[in-house]
Amino acid sequence: MKAKIIWLQGVTCNGNSHSFLNLPSLASLLQQFEFLYHPLFPSPLQLMDLHTADFDILVVEGGLKQGWKKGDKDLYELFFHLAQKAKKIVAVGSCAVFGGVFKEFDPTITGVLFDKTKKSKLYEHFFNKTVNIPGCPAHPEWIAFAIENDSFSLDEYHRPKEIFAFTVHSGCTRNEYFEWKVDAKSFGTKEGCLFYEQGCQAPFTHGSCNRILWNEINSKTRSGTPCFGCTEPTFPKTGLFHTKTYMGIPANMPLGVPKRAYLTITGIAKSFQIPRLTRKLIDEN
Amino acid sequence: MRIELLEKIEGEAFLKFQKDKKIITDVKVIFPHYRGIEEILRGRNPWDALVINPRICGICGHAHLQATAMVLESIFQITITQKAQKIREITRFCEIIQNHIKWFYLVIFHELGILYDFTKVHHLIITINKLLALFSGQWPHSSYCVIGGVTCDPTSFEIYQAKTLIRQIKDQFIQLIGELHDPLNLTNDLQKLYHTLQEKELLLVGKSHDRFITFSQDSHVSNIKLLHGQKRKTKLTLIEENEQKRSYAKNVTYNGKYYETGPLARLMQQTDPFIRYFHRRFKDSITTRIIARIYEVSLLIEKIIDHLATIDLSQPSVVESKMQDGTAIISIEAARGSLIHQATIHQGKIETYNIITPTQWNLSNGTSQNPSVIQKAIIGTSDEKIANLIFRSFDICSVCTTH
Ligand code: SF4
Ligand code: SF4
Repeated sequence: MKAKIIWLQGVTCNGNSHSFLNLPSLASLLQQFEFLYHPLFPSPLQLMDLHTADFDILVVEGGLKQGWKKGDKDLYELFFHLAQKAKKIVAVGSCAVFGGVFKEFDPTITGVLFDKTKKSKLYEHFFNKTVNIPGCPAHPEWIAFAIENDSFSLDEYHRPKEIFAFTVHSGCTRNEYFEWKVDAKSFGTKEGCLFYEQGCQAPFTHGSCNRILWNEINSKTRSGTPCFGCTEPTFPKTGLFHTKTYMGIPANMPLGVPKRAYLTITGIAKSFQIPRLTRKLIDEN
Repeated sequence: MRIELLEKIEGEAFLKFQKDKKIITDVKVIFPHYRGIEEILRGRNPWDALVINPRICGICGHAHLQATAMVLESIFQITITQKAQKIREITRFCEIIQNHIKWFYLVIFHELGILYDFTKVHHLIITINKLLALFSGQWPHSSYCVIGGVTCDPTSFEIYQAKTLIRQIKDQFIQLIGELHDPLNLTNDLQKLYHTLQEKELLLVGKSHDRFITFSQDSHVSNIKLLHGQKRKTKLTLIEENEQKRSYAKNVTYNGKYYETGPLARLMQQTDPFIRYFHRRFKDSITTRIIARIYEVSLLIEKIIDHLATIDLSQPSVVESKMQDGTAIISIEAARGSLIHQATIHQGKIETYNIITPTQWNLSNGTSQNPSVIQKAIIGTSDEKIANLIFRSFDICSVCTTH
């Protein structure tokens, strides 16, 4: 018997549904699991039938909000009803985990277990069966992992450490530039690190974007875009393409690194000039 | 009156049908949700819009990203390089292609009960998004277009990878849909579609005003409207947007009239014999509308091949920009038609931001004297399943409409 899944959408942009559709091994996942309802691909149930369905796993995409219409029901009530029945809940995307981007407009929107960094009203009800997969959107392989696995070591935000103990900085192709403190001169270059000027949040963001590549080929930072910290409860911050500094020192240190250690290493690295890292990788002429 | 829920349209909408005996005499579309994007943007640094706006929509967020970059570039009076222009078109065309393929199979084939090879279709979608991400870092929700250009800086190795991927995409597409040279000789899945519409006597349903509009200018389209077969240039300043009671979507008209936007509108402004053939026979029925959307994929694949062959990598990816205050309005083609972004920057902050999405054009609520595109297409139908199919032939996007 295949395990049965309901994929419920709250206040969302559908980004996680589309991200999940990028899963290379989707066909093999569908041999083990049956989606009774998914917002994109063909599934046997209609929204109106969900509250009477028998199923195993509830996947939630999008924030929760009272008074948000979901078919003929209220989203919050429908979620609560389904969540009580579910054997496992997978909250997918930063909206379902922390409240996410639309919370910036409506502060009453929350995630399943968390309201930004605070525990939500639902925490006590569902913490022992919920796995959180934040990201805006969540990576398809992370979602599949949460659906297919049953034991995880979870961090304080119920994120599997197997994915979120790493920082997004780990695996970036610009690591050499970070080490030697060579900053990107502008956007649109292969050379340089985006930490100091372009707002890259990867050194203090939990996630595996540079280890488990996006669309099997790339990542934000590899393609020159700073990491915006979308797996964290603080997403979206303001001034997203800009690194906040105090007296020339980045306001946020790399995860777990004491400021004094960072400054010492930076001072030493900057005292050397590494020609290979300050030149263009491919000469213009 | 009957209210029905229309789901799996990138969200949901309610349809209010009026009927006289069995015939539908009126329909109103109610979008029940609102997520406040335009409010979220107010007061923010303009650059932040490049991260917020893709989140309007999970399937066409890339078009929203590019629209954002364009409207800000227009205010800051920046012209991007030809290289950045080409890379942006490549990735945007990829987004349009994957959208059309998803819609053709997951929506239209599903609705008509036609069987298809999910694994092959899925593989095609993944390959397209991979090509997109090769430049944009990821899909969905990249922010690789910034004010002044693109953040990526490809070498000829990435161009080589992209060429390999687009060849695979072209082969896979032809294997599924068939060669699209001769409208009289359809093969593979397109032939299946045509035969099914024929058998179910649906070839001629869903005709609307036969009026088309596009506002954008790129290597694929121009800003042109077609009214009674006459082509005219369109101006963004002549668009009117009106609030509606009970629905969060606003109505939009051009010079007081409702127009269809989208792939059919884009292709009707060209003299492409393939689409002209279907239009001559079936006018703007669902047949022509569906075929236009899937046929557009083949044209966009050729555009991508062309761009990859002519891109000049020695140009900069980004040109420097300086913020200044001002207002601008721009249009860009998203999968579903012309997408319009308008912004005012005051003292370095976003003062107002306004978005008009393609679905608003096609799914406005008009009056009995002046019915909207969808109303005209549906009124007179007696079967709700057919009404449903007509709705879906426009490829509706609820999340975009209710940004
Ligand atoms: S660009 Fe970001 S992820 Fe890459 S090395 Fe620099 S700080 Fe780390
Ligand atoms: S790189 Fe950063 S912003 Fe991008 S998806 Fe990963 S965690 Fe989110």
